[in-house]
Order: sequence, then structure tokens, then C-alpha cells
Amino acid sequence: MLGISEIFEMFKNNMVNIPLIQPIIDALMNIPLVNYVVALVLWKPFFAIAILPGLGGIMLVLLLMVYWERKLTARIQWRVGPLEVFRPLRGLIQPMADGFRYFFQEVIVHVDAHRPYFVQLPILTFIPVLLPILFIPAGEIVAIRSPYAIQIIVALIALIPITIIGIGWASNSRFAYIGSVREAMMYFAYEVPFVIAVLAMILMYGSGDPYVIVEKQSVPGIIMNPIAFLVFFIATLMATSRLPFEIPEADQEIAFGPFVEYSGILFGIVMTLAYEKLYIMCLLMSILFFGGWSGFAIPLLGDLSPVIWLFVKAVVVMLIVALTRSIYPRFRLDQALRMGWTSMLAVSLVSLAVALAIRLSGWLG
Amino acid sequence: MDSRSIQVVRSGVLAPIKKWGTKWSLWPVHLVTACCGAELAHAFASGYDGERIGALNYGIARQTNLIIVEGAITRKMARVLRITWEQMPEPRFVIVMGACGLKGGLFWNGYHLVKPSDVVPVEYFIPGCPPTPEGLLRGIRSLQEKIWEGKNRNSIDFNKIELARKEIERRIPTPPKIIARNPFIKVDVPKDVDWAFGNRLVNELKEGLGNLVERITITGKNRICIRVNPKNLQRVAVKLKDKFDHVKSVNVIDVPYDNTFIVEYVVSSYSNRELMPVLVTIATKISKKNPKLPSLHSYWVSADYLEREMQDLFGVTFEGNPWGNRKFLLAPDTPDYPLRKDFKLEEEVYARDEATEGSKNEEQKQEQGGDKE
Repeated sequence: MLGISEIFEMFKNNMVNIPLIQPIIDALMNIPLVNYVVALVLWKPFFAIAILPGLGGIMLVLLLMVYWERKLTARIQWRVGPLEVFRPLRGLIQPMADGFRYFFQEVIVHVDAHRPYFVQLPILTFIPVLLPILFIPAGEIVAIRSPYAIQIIVALIALIPITIIGIGWASNSRFAYIGSVREAMMYFAYEVPFVIAVLAMILMYGSGDPYVIVEKQSVPGIIMNPIAFLVFFIATLMATSRLPFEIPEADQEIAFGPFVEYSGILFGIVMTLAYEKLYIMCLLMSILFFGGWSGFAIPLLGDLSPVIWLFVKAVVVMLIVALTRSIYPRFRLDQALRMGWTSMLAVSLVSLAVALAIRLSGWLG
Repeated sequence: MDSRSIQVVRSGVLAPIKKWGTKWSLWPVHLVTACCGAELAHAFASGYDGERIGALNYGIARQTNLIIVEGAITRKMARVLRITWEQMPEPRFVIVMGACGLKGGLFWNGYHLVKPSDVVPVEYFIPGCPPTPEGLLRGIRSLQEKIWEGKNRNSIDFNKIELARKEIERRIPTPPKIIARNPFIKVDVPKDVDWAFGNRLVNELKEGLGNLVERITITGKNRICIRVNPKNLQRVAVKLKDKFDHVKSVNVIDVPYDNTFIVEYVVSSYSNRELMPVLVTIATKISKKNPKLPSLHSYWVSADYLEREMQDLFGVTFEGNPWGNRKFLLAPDTPDYPLRKDFKLEEEVYARDEATEGSKNEEQKQEQGGDKE
């Protein structure tokens, strides 16, 4: 049995070291009871899940992405976008207003719905969304260190569509049903090329361990194997229902597909699902293709510096992905399926060949 | 008096956050029934950009909180409006734009019109035909103000002018005294026209048809009317079908005082150049109690659909028409024979959420009433 003092010692020995706020932490650590909380929060595994790149990062990204998407679309259409809500920040807190509004709206559970699943599933979806974060390291801050981290992340990401299909099924409405079937179809379209592209990168680096992968990227992965990046990028768009492949949700045709019956805070939760998935895939993308957390160290931030690098890289990728929403029309389901099973599959196989060639040439050792 | 939605937003400990969130996040789902939709599109496009004030157009009622009704609401659309409104989660608001939604506008006093305010509680009306985009955005801004301050704010104070008014004794106009005791509907009024070919044609027809017909008259230039007994209708058609190759229209006239229908077949020709402009009306009178007539679709194919339509609207049975007694153009649940003179439209009643107006007791009463509905 571990005593409280032993657990406290364990937290204390593995804390995030940030020189910038070290005096404040030292002062807080001298206060009884508060020091337990501070030690827990700054304990590296907890910090990784709850603050950065975990839940805190997701919240930040949600606020930023919704605003960025609306603003970017508005600018492309020669409009201003959200502005009046808070003029000094050019309407940056618009998503917060929308969030509050959703939070305080009535939640309607219609008669036909399967009540327990309808209410539980949006919350249960956080499990497959948050589990991959356990395995995403950022420098020294990591929850679970594993030599098979990349494979595990890919496997866990594949769980998310199942909850979406469950949501559609519990809604018991025709649009939700069509949306669920579309989601399942899209899952088949992107999953195989996506896995092959990731496998190509693992084969190229010779390991599924993010630390090895980041170490070997003296040249970023996107330059070494751009074809795999192409497949990964398109698969990301498909997996997160971004606009060229916004087929399961398609609000003009099937009124938000699986989510059509949700209202109030439950809709707020399910709407963010795609963004959370996008965030995780972008973290994975920046580890595989953009050198992960490598970047020049900022001495003042200490352990936080690599986390910031990883976060910034992921966010930049997300901002670029948001652009596709405002400039592309939507593919039909059959077009997306055909694309997934013909050209994307072929290109992913080519990327596998490229990875094999790099591996055999002995460039990466 | 505040509507229930406004009260919902403005009550409780967290009212400031609720108010702020709802104020800046009014996402309209718009119900376009008329041209105001173009103005709404304009208001949210690059010129005026309604998204500046946080209003994002959205297609699905379940996830939004504002309906903008654009244009006249007919009886059919009233049901749609009510369903859309009921799908929305509280708090929910309705803005009606345009003169049609306000008082009926162009369709004022129309038998098919319903005022949106009879169907759902409306927060703001935006007058105009159509209102400008500025007007619409001002409506949304006013709703924001109302959510924030809890009361309507009058931004315009009109000057009051005392008008001296001279009392005039009003005289109610007397109703017309002469009422025809036996209103007469006549389909073949003869008319003198300078039409030599017509006279020749009438003579030809008289020779050909003999005593099958009751009367053949020229009712105008290029217009001939043949009055037939229903028994002889098919025989007349057999004789005419070589000369005239198609039916232009089939009409039924309801003659209420006589309890009869007058059925008209208007036939003409596409193959003979001289006969092309000529319209020959074959008119026959049948009883209203048992309105049956042999179908002419085997002589003129084009009569088929027209007969089906008359069967729909007047209930005249054309014996031998392959369609039978089913509804052809009308929806299956339409009440029978809407174009007969004695047809009465059913009064429709819409549940109106009166809770928004009046005291709390009334509110409960109205709610119970609404549940029954």
C-alpha cells in the first residue's frame, strides 16, 4: 500500500519544470493541502492529459478553430465575420457566446429515441477521443511511454466512428440513420489508405516509438515521403468530415446526419467531436511529418517548450485544414468511396514503396 | 408583456451569462415563402453581413433559436411553421418580416391566409414590401436589445400632431334592390358576326348531324356552340371526330338554382388549316344528383386527362374513363369536389401559445387547451 506521502513524493519527483513560474510554484508548495493539488496538476502524466496537449489544449483549439473557420469563410466571401460580440479582439470570443447559448438551451430527447444511449453516447465519445492522448508524447511530458505508441493511437482513433454510428442509431430518425450509414461507408473509404500511409512512415523510421521517430527527423518526414503525407492529409479530411468529404453530416442534404436530433448542450458536445478528432490526427501528423516537438528550446519555459512546439505545429496544420471548408464543394458518397479505394489506395501503396526504398538505402540508419 | 422565452433567458442566478450568450448567438432558421427571402440572403451576404452580430444562418430547427418568417403564411404553411417552432428548444424567438406576414400584404383578406401571430408568438415584425436588409438586421438588433434589457426599446419618437376632424354623418350604402329571381346561365348566346366560312360550316354541321343535336349557334368569330342531349353525345362525337382531331378543354359549369351541371367539350383541329382557329363547343346538361356522362376519350385521346380533372374537382363521372373514381390531381385527403358551388371549406384551428400574453392563470388554462389540441 502506498501512503499519501509516498504518492506525494512520486508526484513531486516527476513534476513539470517551468523556470518562468518556478517562484510561484515554490511558494504554493509550502502551503499545506494546496501543495497536493499543485503537485498533482504539475505531475507529468496528469499534465499531459489534463492541460497540454490534453483537455486544455482541446478547449483552446475548439475556441480558436470555430472562430477561425467562421472568420476565414467570411473573409473568403468578402464578409467581416463575427465582430460585434467583442470588438477589441475582432469577435474572438464568439464561440464562447455560442457555447453558453447551447449550454443553457433546452435538451430535447424525442419520444422515438433510445433514451439511455441517446444521452450517454455523446459523453462516452470522449473516451476514444481522449485515450490516444495518453500515448502522444511531447518531450518529457508523456502519460504512457510505449514503443508501439503510433500503432496504438491509430487503433484508438478507429474507435471514434463506432460511437458516431451508435449516436445515429440511438437517435432513431431517418436522417440520423442515413448519416450513420454514410459515416460507416466513409470509414471504409479512408481507413485502409490511412493505415497504409502510417505503416509506410513506421517502416521508414523503423519504429513506432514517437521518440525514435522525432529523433530520426533531421529532415522533416513530409520532405522524405511527401506521398504518404498526401494520403494522410486526405484521410484526415475524410475522417473528420471536413468539407470536401463532409458526407456524413451534409447539413444541406440530411440535416447534420447522425446529430440531427440533438439539441442544447448535447449537440454542443457532438458538434465538437469532429474537431477533437481533427486535433488528435493533427498531433499525429506533426509527429510523423513535421518533426514532432523538435524546435529550438526556450529556456524560460523549460519542459513546456517542446509541448508548445507540438501544439503550435498541430494548430498550424488545423488552420490550413480549415481552409478547405471554405473553398471546396462536397463530393458525393460514391465519388469519395471510389477515390478511397482506387487512387488513394494506389498512392498509399506507392508511398509504401518509397518508404521501403528509403529504408533499404540505409539513409535513416 | 415578455414572452416566455424572454422570461426563461432572464431568470435565475446565471441570467447574465444566459442573456449574453443568447444575445450574441441568435442563429436564424428561415422560412421562405416569398420574395423576402432574397432580402434575407442580401442581409447575410457580403454587403451587409449579418454574421457580424453573431447571427449565423442555419438549416436545422433543432439546433437554433430563431425563426425568421419571410412572406405570407397560408393554411398549409401555418402547419409547417408551427411544427418548426415546436421542434425548437427553449428559448426560441420568431421574427416576421414583410407586409404579408404582418397583415397579409398583397394577399390581404385572402381566404387562405393565416397571420403568423395566430400560430406562434412573434417577437418582432419588420414592415416593408420587402423590408431592406438594414431593416432585417435592425430587427435582429432590436431582439438582442430586448433580450438584454427585457423590454422593447422605442428608438424612434414620432411627433404628435393634433388633427382637427370634421364630423361627417356616415350613410351606409343601401343594398342593391334588384335581385334576379332566376339567374340564367346561357352557354350559347347567338351573335351576329361577319364570318362567311362559319355560316358554311354551320350548314355543313347541321346537314351532317341532323336531329342528333338540339341547336347549333355561332357565338362569336371562330366560335361555334352545339347543344346536345347527353344521350346523343357519343354519336355526335363519332361524327365530329373526323373533322376535329382533338379536345382543347373540358369544362363543367355548376348551375346551383337548376341543380344541373353544364359540361362543355371544346374541340378543334390541328390537321386542317381552315379549321385550326375554329373552336367548337359541345355543351350538354346533366343532373347534379347523378352526374354521369359517357367518356369521349376513345374518340379524342386528349379528353382523357381533362375528364379526370373534372372528375376530381366536380365529381362528374365519365363512364368508360380508364382512371375510374380515384383522385387524379388533388391530394388523397382533399375533401370531395372543391369547385362545386355548395362546397364549404373546413375551418382550421391552430394552437396558439397564449402563455406569452396575460397572467399566469390564463397561461395555465391556455396550456391545457393547447395540450388537447
